[in-house]
Amino acid sequence: MKRHLAIATMVVFACSSIFLLSSCAKKQVVVEEKEITAPPEEEVVEVEEEELPAEEVAEELAIEVEEEEEEVEREEEVEIERPEEVELAERWEPEAEEEALLDRRAARFEGELIYFDFDKFFIKPEYRAILKEKAEFLKDNPNISVRIEGNCDERGTNEYNIALGERRSTSARNFLVSLGVSSYRIETMSYGEERPLFFGHDEESWSQNRRDDFVIIKE
Amino acid sequence: MKLKSILVSKILFNTRGIFRILVWILVLGIGIILQTEGVEGRLYIDITSPSMRRISVAIPDFKYLGKKNEHPDLGRELSEIMSNDLDLSGYFKPLDKGSFIERPEAGITRDSIHFKDWSVIGAELLIKGGYECIGQQLKVVIRLFDVFSGKQLYGKRALGIVDESRYLIHRLGNEIIRTLTGDPGPFLTKLAFVGTSTGHKEIYLSDYDGHNLKQITSYNTITLSPRWSPLGERLMYTSFRNSGTVLFMHDVLRESVTKISDRKGLNIAAAWRPNGKELALTLTISGNPDIYLIDTTGKILKRLTKNWGIDVSPTFSPDGKKMAFVSNRSGSPQIYILDLVSSQVERLTFQGNYNTSPAWSKLDRIAFAGSFDHHFDVYTISPDGKDLRRVTQGQSNNENPCWSPDGRYIAFSSNRAGGNYHIFIANANGENQRKVTFSKGEQLSPSWAQYSK
Repeated sequence: MKRHLAIATMVVFACSSIFLLSSCAKKQVVVEEKEITAPPEEEVVEVEEEELPAEEVAEELAIEVEEEEEEVEREEEVEIERPEEVELAERWEPEAEEEALLDRRAARFEGELIYFDFDKFFIKPEYRAILKEKAEFLKDNPNISVRIEGNCDERGTNEYNIALGERRSTSARNFLVSLGVSSYRIETMSYGEERPLFFGHDEESWSQNRRDDFVIIKE
Repeated sequence: MKLKSILVSKILFNTRGIFRILVWILVLGIGIILQTEGVEGRLYIDITSPSMRRISVAIPDFKYLGKKNEHPDLGRELSEIMSNDLDLSGYFKPLDKGSFIERPEAGITRDSIHFKDWSVIGAELLIKGGYECIGQQLKVVIRLFDVFSGKQLYGKRALGIVDESRYLIHRLGNEIIRTLTGDPGPFLTKLAFVGTSTGHKEIYLSDYDGHNLKQITSYNTITLSPRWSPLGERLMYTSFRNSGTVLFMHDVLRESVTKISDRKGLNIAAAWRPNGKELALTLTISGNPDIYLIDTTGKILKRLTKNWGIDVSPTFSPDGKKMAFVSNRSGSPQIYILDLVSSQVERLTFQGNYNTSPAWSKLDRIAFAGSFDHHFDVYTISPDGKDLRRVTQGQSNNENPCWSPDGRYIAFSSNRAGGNYHIFIANANGENQRKVTFSKGEQLSPSWAQYSK
């Protein structure tokens, strides 16, 4: 009897967790819809505010990046936005699959970063393929705008590094524009050395911090 | 050739020659001694000498001169403020109070001081202080004595309030420095810097010695590059907003903030021209980080650099006719000087692969942070590129130097003490490096100005 009860409990638990997991995947659709209705300026503000506690976000990333990259992004979004089960259940419709694909491509767009050599801002050959993929994504989704954020390692002055980060973000933008993306869809921004992803004082951390971040700001 | 060497050996091995040489050495020696005594008679300390011996000074607790003492701790506190000032000046070595042997009933006037008690413990100068309080009112008497001659060199009565006793002592300390060096002291000055105590980079103010700490921004973003106006009443800084970096002017007397430049792209690191009417800052409106001259309302007056590379961190010469800045136009960040009259640009630094953060002093020297061997040290150099001197000696990283208003001291941030950056001050030659900020988190990028009280 006891054993039956235990099995029953486990089955119920498993079912509910599957349900929860699927809700998680779905809820993004709802949230994104909400964002469309919001005026664009407010949206930008929201994004900024969430990102500003730089260390927290960076630390989160720092721990997770070591695992699988794609999973990291999904987990992150899950944590930031709370699923609302009722709404999700209603919207389990065919077009959702298309949107899920878009989500995956968007996550890839934001998750695949490009890296730079110390005190340099030219695009290294190994990152051209990544930028080409980003250009394709932008061309396939003409209503999306993005911001490229240049970053540097901790060495040197923050003033010089802000300028260097600006050049890094401009390099990536110019590359995307050369591949046919309209320049007005790409904003650039530099955080200099202010938003490291890794906090070590060695080349291992530095090489990961000399990067361009890609942020989708409007859909 | 041969003749010459014969002549030299003749003089050297001739006893009369040796005698003559000895006489000359003696005469010269006396001359030198007389000359230095002459200098010491007029000025106790020659602050222009490249390296100096610190004078030992005894500063016992200030004596209460009134009847009922409502502030018994003040006697010790006042002497400690004075002692810290004189120590930070780099000219003095305050003696440990534990070594004092003078009897407590001794007074603060010349007649009641037993100078032998002070000379025996090695004091060259003695500062005696007394104070009296009526409510918040504070009266301080101070006397400076030469221990060997027993002569009073300086005496002053000053009035103030108890809560501002640090200010009162800084003022008297300045006058002691003036008496001994002929130069006004550095004690009535203040720092602005970036601090991270709250978890965000915000701007803080303090006295030059790190006391009277005050946070003046709470933007909860990233705020950088504070720069005092020449008179120390306004402060420029760069703060991150959603759109990018924005340049603000903070009037610290009126406590008002004005947005000066929020052009598209970068608006970073403004430097004041010594006239207090113009500023140089880096903008990217042309698509590339270049330096522009603007007025205090933010209006662009002139584009100063036009180059494919990065141009940042301007600083003006004391006459305002030249500007040093950082550029990577030759491939790595180096310091260049722009002549604003002729528009000629010349490279200043050639050693090392990363030289940055120039700061031009009132005494016409340029301090900068340079990486010659994988970490940053502070150096100073003459604007003509000669006379490069090292200020810090490889204690981890030493960055973002700035000068005291009189050009005799340098402040910089260093992570030598356990990883976090704190502010240090030192004499211009690098002697006497002292940590002056002690808050949690980091303190970075100092700017130093005259007290505008």
